Amino acid sequence: MSTRYFGARVTRNEDPALLTGRGLFVDDVRLRGVAHAAVLRSPHANARLLSIDVRQARALRGVLAVYVHADLGTLGDPLPKLIPHPALVHHKTQSALAKDRVRYVGEPVAFVVAESRYIAEDACDRIAVEYDPLPAVASLEAAVGPDAPRVHDDVEGNVCAHYTQRVGDVDAAFARAPHRFRERFVIDRGAASPMETRGVAASWDAGAARLEVWDSTQAPIPIRNGLAQLLGLPEQHVRVVAPDVGGGFGPKVMMFYPEEILVPFAAMRLGRPVKWIEDRREHFVATNQEREQIHDAEIAVDGDGRILGVRTVFLHDAGAYIPYGLIVPIVASTTLPGPYRIPNYHCEFRAVFTNKTMVSPYRGAGRPQGVFVMERLLDRAARELGVDRTEIRRRNLIQPHEFPYDVGLIYQDNAPLRYDSGDYPRCLDRALELIDYAGWPARQRAARAEGRALGCGVACYVEGTGIGPYEGARVTVEPSGQVFVATGVGTQGQGHLTAFAQIAADALGVSPRRVTVHTGDTGMFGWGTGTFASRGATVAGNAVALAAAAVREKTRLVAATLLEAPPEEIELGDGDVFVRGVPARAVTLGEVARAANPLRFAMPREWEGPGLEAIRYFAPPQGAFSNGVHACVVEVDAETGALTVLRYVVVHDCGRVINPSILDGQIRGGVAQGLGGAFYEKLAYDDQAQPLSTTFMDYLLPTAAEVPPVEIGHVETPSPLNPLGIKGAGEAGVIPVIAVIAQAVEDALDPLRLHITEAPLSPNRLRQLIVEARRSP
Amino acid sequence: MKLEGTQTLPATVETVWKSINDPETLRRCTPGLKELSETGPDAYAATLTVGIAAVKGTYKGTLTLSEKQPTTHLKIILEGTGGPGFMKGEGIVDLEPQGEGTLVKWTGDVQVGGLMAGVGQRMLGGVGKMLIGQFFKCLEQHLGTDA
Amino acid sequence: MKPAAFEYHAPRTVDEALALLDAHGDEAKVLAGGQSLVPMMNMRLARPGVVVDINRLPALDYLTLDGGALRIGALCRQRAVERSALTAEHCPLLRDAVRLIGHLQIRNRGTVVGSIAHADPAAEMTAALTILGGEVTATGPGGERTIDADELFVSYLTTSLDPRELITEARFPVLPAGAGWSWTEIARRHGDFALVGVGVVLSVRAGVVADARIALTGVGPTPVRATHAERALAGAAPGDALWEQAAEAVRAEVEPDDDIHASAAYRRHVAGVLTGRALAEAHGRAREAA
Repeated sequence: MSTRYFGARVTRNEDPALLTGRGLFVDDVRLRGVAHAAVLRSPHANARLLSIDVRQARALRGVLAVYVHADLGTLGDPLPKLIPHPALVHHKTQSALAKDRVRYVGEPVAFVVAESRYIAEDACDRIAVEYDPLPAVASLEAAVGPDAPRVHDDVEGNVCAHYTQRVGDVDAAFARAPHRFRERFVIDRGAASPMETRGVAASWDAGAARLEVWDSTQAPIPIRNGLAQLLGLPEQHVRVVAPDVGGGFGPKVMMFYPEEILVPFAAMRLGRPVKWIEDRREHFVATNQEREQIHDAEIAVDGDGRILGVRTVFLHDAGAYIPYGLIVPIVASTTLPGPYRIPNYHCEFRAVFTNKTMVSPYRGAGRPQGVFVMERLLDRAARELGVDRTEIRRRNLIQPHEFPYDVGLIYQDNAPLRYDSGDYPRCLDRALELIDYAGWPARQRAARAEGRALGCGVACYVEGTGIGPYEGARVTVEPSGQVFVATGVGTQGQGHLTAFAQIAADALGVSPRRVTVHTGDTGMFGWGTGTFASRGATVAGNAVALAAAAVREKTRLVAATLLEAPPEEIELGDGDVFVRGVPARAVTLGEVARAANPLRFAMPREWEGPGLEAIRYFAPPQGAFSNGVHACVVEVDAETGALTVLRYVVVHDCGRVINPSILDGQIRGGVAQGLGGAFYEKLAYDDQAQPLSTTFMDYLLPTAAEVPPVEIGHVETPSPLNPLGIKGAGEAGVIPVIAVIAQAVEDALDPLRLHITEAPLSPNRLRQLIVEARRSP
Repeated sequence: MKLEGTQTLPATVETVWKSINDPETLRRCTPGLKELSETGPDAYAATLTVGIAAVKGTYKGTLTLSEKQPTTHLKIILEGTGGPGFMKGEGIVDLEPQGEGTLVKWTGDVQVGGLMAGVGQRMLGGVGKMLIGQFFKCLEQHLGTDA
Repeated sequence: MKPAAFEYHAPRTVDEALALLDAHGDEAKVLAGGQSLVPMMNMRLARPGVVVDINRLPALDYLTLDGGALRIGALCRQRAVERSALTAEHCPLLRDAVRLIGHLQIRNRGTVVGSIAHADPAAEMTAALTILGGEVTATGPGGERTIDADELFVSYLTTSLDPRELITEARFPVLPAGAGWSWTEIARRHGDFALVGVGVVLSVRAGVVADARIALTGVGPTPVRATHAERALAGAAPGDALWEQAAEAVRAEVEPDDDIHASAAYRRHVAGVLTGRALAEAHGRAREAA
């Protein structure tokens, strides 16, 4: 089998259509007679819903229906609990429409369907809702404070879960440690901001009793299964398609968002297709967010900076409901140890309700927070002990011979956290080389002499990827010679249509251009869990490899008959199937496919069925662990607090790389989002949890002018956990950015000994820190 | 949103007190007030269209006066809901004689919800202060005419 | 984000446009570039009953040099002003300020006059008009009148225009011969509204500051002329010490607001910092006047 395409920078199969406006996103789906929906949302963060009067709205010309909770029947029950956990005592979920209480600004209260979105919004204006506003909880500190208002009446202190993981004996370690440093870290909320907002379109064929749904989701199969159950339909008769999706980043994997229920419900009731496209302002309240945590953390080290123990007790903001469970705080807890040897570790969190939009993973899913805590603790220790910050890291790194390395914790997939492979020192060395760390002190001095404050930052992390439970793939060769791959994951820009094609192409000896990949369509493949947690390539990719290998073997078996040679001597290459060493004795792959599907006569038993087709599943026993090191150089204007990122380096190890160009793209995008979380993106709320930044005028995404070119270095330590030796990389770019920027800013203003324990920063905040630092002795 | 300010008015505390408590003054000087009808002692139903330039919202709600300590202290609560969301303003007004006139010290806690809050952040504080300034300017203009 | 229903008119003559404004008063809004109006309408923040689209009035699209001033018609796009040789030669401060309005795409449609009429508290054009001592011509039911910059800007998003008036032209006097200039601003990102912006025009004669004009945006409801700072500069010897003195005077003069992006204290401090930098830059460009 060749490996001609695996590892090559193949240009993407999906690009010609996407770049020429021929993509198909949910809003592009043409449904004859489609009606348009709008959602009336609560303007209060916490209130009793006393009454809704929809008569004037229903009377408006062009309005087809106005639904409130009472119209939904059992569909109005609380939505499913996605990921239960024994520690999640109060697993609260919202209803598709609020019944008698609203708990965050944006919570859906009524659903309007009309001939156009314009009319639907006009109708929303005419719905009169009577609220009895209640005091709201706008922050973690407020939520756990004495006499805090309750987000849920039966949840005391707003704490829905309390969970601790321990390794070793942290108390003893701290008791005997020569040095202990304590910090309080505050990380703020962020919104993933995909270029395409959410959207759902549904069409109900009453005659055939079939439902078709287009949904900008990262997990169409669970949506299909859930909808079938809720609507009382056979799974076979529900098709969910995630067409082209303009970015997912985590918040598009949910089950369910209210609109994912309301749109199909309305379509079935009205007998007309219905479409709902989220607008950007809605998106800021109606789509999940993440990142808000407060950590009280401490580190115990010896005189050389070797870690003796780490402890963190943190609060995790869950928002108003918690359908997605404890994934994010568990991931934060288990990412914190990173590439370091930490013999004693205590990680305890409380998940807390607040009257804000719900929280579910956003690229990083808790890893940025964990890494921020660990890296900042190490920076503190380094500063206090007078040890170079890269040296203190080097002293604590897990060494290449220590794999597989058991961290001693349970990861988000409920399996032991065991690092499969890696070469952490090599990644660190490579990053330091790329940023020229050796020459840094001289460069910094020279810049200072010119009145410029430049700083350098270096941060390390380990990234859990490729978790189960499973994914599957079907590979089929058609008589034309075209290869088709279908898998259950969805695609939101990860290049699956190319990466999976490369894998199949190598196995079957064809060009990736002759491989068509279908993702995200339950009608094409009905088993799978979705694209999230950096698992698409690893899990689905390996399933594709297994299925393609099986098709390859079947090809040799069938071709053996055609070419009258033993299967072991049959080769595949350039679209042909031939006898090794005798290229003249060849048939095309398509001819073999035709031969594999006889119309008459007996079929050889060893074929085990017709066609060149195989379905295989890959179920990893645990996740595969990628790692990386980021380094940057920044310039700070101390008078205005302005920050410029001059250089940004990423050295990344995700095992064997399918397509370096796709990987680079993933990393660059992640870095941009990370810079957003470090210096630009802040979701502001007032003290009654009113969102104050619901447009891009106020929620600032870094533009191309703010993000420098990202210089990328690769290291490859293959994973022993899967046949392809690959690991995930989807979140690599974003994970350590807030940590590395904080370190670099402190370095730039080193004489001031700034103490940065929060993210994001801003010019305003930086000035405050500078002024405070100048005041203190 | 917390706002505060001071204003000097060329009239005695008694005159100023009387003016502020007079529904006619409230009707005339509350920015954007379109309707004001008494529903009880010191309580009114109100409709106001408030905003700046083209950006306006109509709110229906109530205006109440409370915590009255004649000639020295007063609380005004104005709240309403409308298309653009809701608004609630709680103002504390303290009066002190200053020479021949009155020093007015006011503090306000304004809560804005819905559309205006999510989108208008850049200007809400400044506009709020400005509207309150308009109230006092109008009050000043009509002092003495109601005496 | 779909607008509420409205009546749309696209008049073919200026008189027709004026007649519509006269008939509808403050129910009508003028649509030129639409870069501020349309988002506000889409978000239903503004619900004009009538939109008067002036984009089919080519007579209003001009940029000429006349009587010591740049005359900019109501329909002249920001990008045209940015790229014009007239601006570069006679009023480079205006060019430097226009260039920082939003992004290229916005400047392709947005108009200078539209930005002035919109009167955003952090706009560049309002401060540019102020610092250059410019004026606008407004036409309405009462005929034509000229409004100076310092009488035009009243408050946040509010000018002294009557709703039935249309600004047909803005005039920016050219820089005095030999004057140095600077437009300096700080924004969160490339293309964002300025947190603080400072424009400076500085003339030097016989080794001292002959004339200094300083205007700021983003530090209050309207553009601010820093007259105290200007007086401190007049007749004084240029240099870092003088710039710092002027910066302090500016800090004492401005009353910025708090918002979610920056505190009043930050804006006040940065107003001074940018003033100092702008003065130094303007001084570097100034040539001794005869």
